[in-house]
Amino acid sequence: MTSKNKKSYWLFVIGCWLLFSCTGNSTGSESTSAANSTKFKQYYIQGEQLYLTHCSNCHQENGKGLGRLFPPLDKSDFADANFEKVICIMKHGISGELVVNGKSFNKEMKGIPSLSDLEVAEIATYIYNSWERKHGIVEVQTVSAILQKCDSVKIQ
Amino acid sequence: MHKSFVSGQWLFFKNISKLLGFSILLTACIQKKEAPLPILGEKDVQGTDTVYHTIGEFSFVDQDSNIVTQDTFRDKIYVADFFFTSCRTICPRMTAQMDRVYDSVEHDPDVLLLSHTIDPEYDTVALLRDYAERLEAKSSKWHFVTGNKDDIYKLAQTSYFTTALEDKSDADGFIHSGAFLLVDKQKRIRGKYDGTKEEEVNRLLTDIGRLKKEYDEQK
Repeated sequence: MTSKNKKSYWLFVIGCWLLFSCTGNSTGSESTSAANSTKFKQYYIQGEQLYLTHCSNCHQENGKGLGRLFPPLDKSDFADANFEKVICIMKHGISGELVVNGKSFNKEMKGIPSLSDLEVAEIATYIYNSWERKHGIVEVQTVSAILQKCDSVKIQ
Repeated sequence: MHKSFVSGQWLFFKNISKLLGFSILLTACIQKKEAPLPILGEKDVQGTDTVYHTIGEFSFVDQDSNIVTQDTFRDKIYVADFFFTSCRTICPRMTAQMDRVYDSVEHDPDVLLLSHTIDPEYDTVALLRDYAERLEAKSSKWHFVTGNKDDIYKLAQTSYFTTALEDKSDADGFIHSGAFLLVDKQKRIRGKYDGTKEEEVNRLLTDIGRLKKEYDEQK
């Protein structure tokens, strides 16, 4: 074996070892994270459909809203700072002045009381993982807990 | 003989290619001149004249409390629609699309926009003004009008061939179409578009350009 061949032989051996050790390490957590990502995808896709049905007429498909009539959801300091309030607004609506990104909005949004906790969770998963947000899945339990206390959720 | 056959063939091909070139040029020229936009509605032929359907007289009040009539649109092309501010179904989509039209004609003195409320009891002048301001729409360009409910419904139905009716059983309380109507300087309807669909509104934007060109060529 020439020194050049020897070198590539060892490179190959090290490469194989690295490859096996990498895949070997991750097998433990793989099944749970795959299940999580399937659930996340289901929520997100379902959320997108619900968003298109219930929200996009006003907030627009691209989440940019319209003028000072309908506030944006894509880049929104309000949505970023008021996760719990946003959950409550979907179900119970909101009226009065609302300041989003320094702009004043003042058109009543009627809530959609017929939405189930799961549907709110799916829409929230969609909104909080779109337009550069990476919040991760919004669980139904989280939503149910928030919806129980909407009276006390204050705008930040 | 063989030689003359070859040169004959050559001549034939030469002529054919000339003819082909000429016809390509010709079709190119013909294609350049687009067919004019259709004129919608019934037409009445009276002798040598054809009388087309036109928008009837109207008198409404806009967001600045100014009276808006046919005179407001004298020598203008305009786009009309019917909506109401509290509508949560198709109107916000229509408003977003009309806002696109606004952006594209904002600096064009030839084109105006006219949105009629079909809920004049709720949509007062003050409410329409607030709505327009929130869209940052200039009242000289985009008129939001209110008026007598029956007049508005009748105009929608008979002049613009679009539907605007009160219906308490409907979720929003009204049945109405999301149509945008393109009206020319002779008050004739030249196009009808679904104002909730981006592609349809793209077609409207193209047609506004075509209509303007039609008038430019007449000058």
